[in-house]
Amino acid sequence: MLPFSIELKPGLPVAEQILFAVKKAVVAKQLRPGDKFPSVRLLSQELRINPNTAHKVIAALVHEGVLVTTPAVGSIVAEREAGGKRERAELLGADVERLVVEAKKLGLDIDDVQAAVAAHWKKLGGK
Amino acid sequence: MNIIETTNLSRRYGRTEAVHELNLAVPQGSVFALLGPNGAGKTTTIKVLMNLLPPTSGAARVLGVDSRKLGEREKAQLGYVSENQQLPLWMTVRQLLDYCRPFYPTWDRELEKNLLAQFALPEQRKLAHLSRGMLMKAALLSSLAYRPKLLVLDEPFSGLDPVVRDDFIRGVLEVSALGEWTVLVSSHDIEEVERLADRVALLDGGRLRLNETTESLQGRFRRVEITDAPAGVGPATDWLEWERAGALTRFVEPRYAGETTERAWRERFGDATVKMQPMTLREIFMTLARANRTTATEATA
Repeated sequence: MLPFSIELKPGLPVAEQILFAVKKAVVAKQLRPGDKFPSVRLLSQELRINPNTAHKVIAALVHEGVLVTTPAVGSIVAEREAGGKRERAELLGADVERLVVEAKKLGLDIDDVQAAVAAHWKKLGGK
Repeated sequence: MNIIETTNLSRRYGRTEAVHELNLAVPQGSVFALLGPNGAGKTTTIKVLMNLLPPTSGAARVLGVDSRKLGEREKAQLGYVSENQQLPLWMTVRQLLDYCRPFYPTWDRELEKNLLAQFALPEQRKLAHLSRGMLMKAALLSSLAYRPKLLVLDEPFSGLDPVVRDDFIRGVLEVSALGEWTVLVSSHDIEEVERLADRVALLDGGRLRLNETTESLQGRFRRVEITDAPAGVGPATDWLEWERAGALTRFVEPRYAGETTERAWRERFGDATVKMQPMTLREIFMTLARANRTTATEATA
């Protein structure tokens, strides 16, 4: 089993989908600093993807500092500075755009959307 | 290095040309998808590569050897599974494996055992009594157990249910060795292979229409939608599927290159709202197939 949630959708570039899912898992603390990250082989077999793609994904994650490679263990999730809030917000980008487009289509204004978001936020126990 | 290379390869059946002057190179370490509708020439190409058919003209090299001279040494490094494979149906699964093993010096008993378990194949059952899915898995197992350098799969998924298909892909990935392992897989359905393939080639009417990495294809195609484009503005020459309805204009940009392309759009459409989105491989192939048909009709008209 993979230590992060992902559901590959047909059509979109596979590597991008995995990169996004991994970063999301890191900010959501599904993956924590020091956790072992799956090998190329496991990633490829679990997701039924080309091993070259799996290799590329891991290389990109290392390059972006999400993972670090250690000779003995393979890749592990890197320690991150606390900052990251802007990055976390960026991960929402596409979802926010979709929400805004839908709201505009329905003729709602920004206050309606904010109220709806706040109500949902409360329901899920946030403050 | 190229594991497969064809030079002006043609094959006729009587007066019908099934493959026309095909130049194809499959680099080592890639998963290469050969796509195209039924009758495009995929199976004929593969049969020539496997030396089941001689070319009418031109040549193919496989594992560095002319396809007509493929010998025991090359065949021991070559796995081939086809939709219409002839198997000795009177044998049991166990007998099939016992029969195949001595031909391959690299046969891996441990891998054989793992794949048998993973595929849930009944060892004592006769091949004649296996379902289509089981039979394909038995054929795959007998081609994977020796870890071939080149695995050729001709329409491996057609008629398989999703669970068997998934088993099949897992099995194929089981022997993957990064950089050394090459797979050529043919299919009429891009979605079956898009997660696996590095590179896709499109055959149509025996001719090669496209040969590109999936990454570059998805990078350069965009579906563009413009609201309130100025009246009288027409399409650029390479745009595809240009349509206008009401305030909406829609087209496909086949050469998207970021900022440069977006600037060109703005120059053409002024302040109109431009929205673009990436396309799935299936959408790209449909667009290309329609464009080919239009060109063909215009050429004959």
